[in-house]
Amino acid sequence: MAEVTTSDGSRGYGGPLHRVDDCTWRIPRSYRADMLVDGLIFADERLLPQLRSDRAPDQVVNVACLPGIQGASLAMPDIHWGYGFCIGGVAATDPAAGGVVSPGGVGYDINCGVRLLRTDLDLADVRPQLVPLIEQMMRDIPVGVGQGGSRVFGPDELRALMQRGVPYLHDLGLATADDVACTEAEGCIPDALPGVVSDRALARGADQCGTVGAGNHFIEVQVVDRVEDPRAAAAFGLRVGQICVLVHSGSRGLGYQVCDDALRSLRDAPAKYGLTLPDRQLVCAPLESPEGRHYLGAMRAAANYAFCNRQLLTWQIREVFARVLGRSWESLGMTLLYDVAHNMAKMETHLIGGTAREVCVHRKGATRAFPAGHADIPARYRDTGQPVIIPGDMGRASWVLVGGPRSLERSFGTTCHGAGRCLSRTAATKAARGRDIRAELERGGVIARSRSREGLAEEQPQAYKDVDVVVDVVHRAGLSMKVARLRPLGVIKG
Amino acid sequence: MYEIFGHTADLGIRVRAATLEALLADAARGLTAVIASDPAQIEPVVEERFAVAGGDPTWLLLDWVAEVLAAFEVRRMLYRDFDVVVDEHGLRASARGEAYDPLRHALAHEVKAVTQHDLDVRRSADGWEARFIVDI
Repeated sequence: MAEVTTSDGSRGYGGPLHRVDDCTWRIPRSYRADMLVDGLIFADERLLPQLRSDRAPDQVVNVACLPGIQGASLAMPDIHWGYGFCIGGVAATDPAAGGVVSPGGVGYDINCGVRLLRTDLDLADVRPQLVPLIEQMMRDIPVGVGQGGSRVFGPDELRALMQRGVPYLHDLGLATADDVACTEAEGCIPDALPGVVSDRALARGADQCGTVGAGNHFIEVQVVDRVEDPRAAAAFGLRVGQICVLVHSGSRGLGYQVCDDALRSLRDAPAKYGLTLPDRQLVCAPLESPEGRHYLGAMRAAANYAFCNRQLLTWQIREVFARVLGRSWESLGMTLLYDVAHNMAKMETHLIGGTAREVCVHRKGATRAFPAGHADIPARYRDTGQPVIIPGDMGRASWVLVGGPRSLERSFGTTCHGAGRCLSRTAATKAARGRDIRAELERGGVIARSRSREGLAEEQPQAYKDVDVVVDVVHRAGLSMKVARLRPLGVIKG
Repeated sequence: MYEIFGHTADLGIRVRAATLEALLADAARGLTAVIASDPAQIEPVVEERFAVAGGDPTWLLLDWVAEVLAAFEVRRMLYRDFDVVVDEHGLRASARGEAYDPLRHALAHEVKAVTQHDLDVRRSADGWEARFIVDI
């Protein structure tokens, strides 16, 4: 295969990509001697040039070498290079086969995820108040670097958040029963071990629960622009012209530190367990080892903190809407459609070779997408399928999808998570010189407010792939099906 | 001397210096320049001391820069100047700066962590050079 040079001068992926169908490409296990399974990338011809110019497919190959990996080393169409695993990477490992857990398969931002709030409002209701809504959110909701929350949690409260997740906030009157029911895992991953979370992680997280953060995190007011599946949209309570609010954030400094701590403490684990890894950033330990259990316990604690973070952001958004629009949030119909994680490792039961096996599914920049009938979907959505929320960039669109009929068979019940970057931060900054991104967005109908100058420049729409293309691929692959497309109206960023 | 470069979704810092001590000091200055839009806004009014154990320069750089990050993340401290001394046990450093003041300090990036990706510290013809990536 011809060598491809990437934008930073390094060599891109020059290995095989065998077409399986028009949206699936295989890297055969024979490509490299240490691969235990094939690599499988969901993408179409439009995405191939970028795929080849990025070293991410090499990472799919590396992950295919992980002990105990089942099926294939997968990647979603928003694939791009990451640490160890690529972003968009998915791998299931079987503890009974010596399977490992790898923090690189989750990411620094443990349980980074999204949730979508519905409202009973239409565009006409909100348009005159859009600027006040966005600006009140900037005033009232902590967003940006160094912005702590109004509530500082003490050690006992942090432990409760990490152990019990959103149900703990329900007890405090900061979550409704519906909020709990409509969060993945009902807002609590079981078997969390808050006791193994370091003091430094607790210190980083003490004032950050209920804060957005910076980088690609945001809160966005949107309008449902188009419905592709009227039956699913009705089941999800979505209609054209409806105002919704999308929240994108994760486990904040607490989660970042849990990952950092794990990468340090696992440094010697591969040698200890006789694991040969093609990339030291795939550092890992057997699931059934003290080190593996330690990481899983800490990761679950951080994941529960992240669910609570998004729930507290929800509570603050409801308060802003009530304040600006002069009505209670309940009367505005601000209910939660669903909350999903897109950086996580979960023990799940999947059919592998016709047998039900419990495996650890790593989803890094990838979203769970269970189809209709799955027991882990809230009862109200079980006949329809699991809602999947896909944030795009702040200039174009986001999507609500539903878990597709082929997700369990093809991708351990997984789909994409977003658009994926196509410009580095420095390239985006350079492209922004001399331009007023905020004014450009406003001309395009989006009111954008950012705490930092860098936030808008680096997160400009042109820095991201077109989410419509990404969503189209997962739809055609049967992983998750289009339900509704949402257009941004206003966004707050760090 | 340091320079910041783009690395897919994150940022990298390349450092060059005549000595290992100066390299480590400039690595910390590079991190500060990623966090704060303009490090010149930081007044060196408080001096704090750090000690990091380790004999391998690569891990020493990683652990040292992680400490400087933690000081911001946990105590909102920003430093402009660093003096570093290295011996066979590790490093001792003094850092001069002040607490983050939202009225005077514009912050640019939330750094999640100092990663091991492409982490490299080596001797060069002119002294030392290093490269590391921070997760944004």
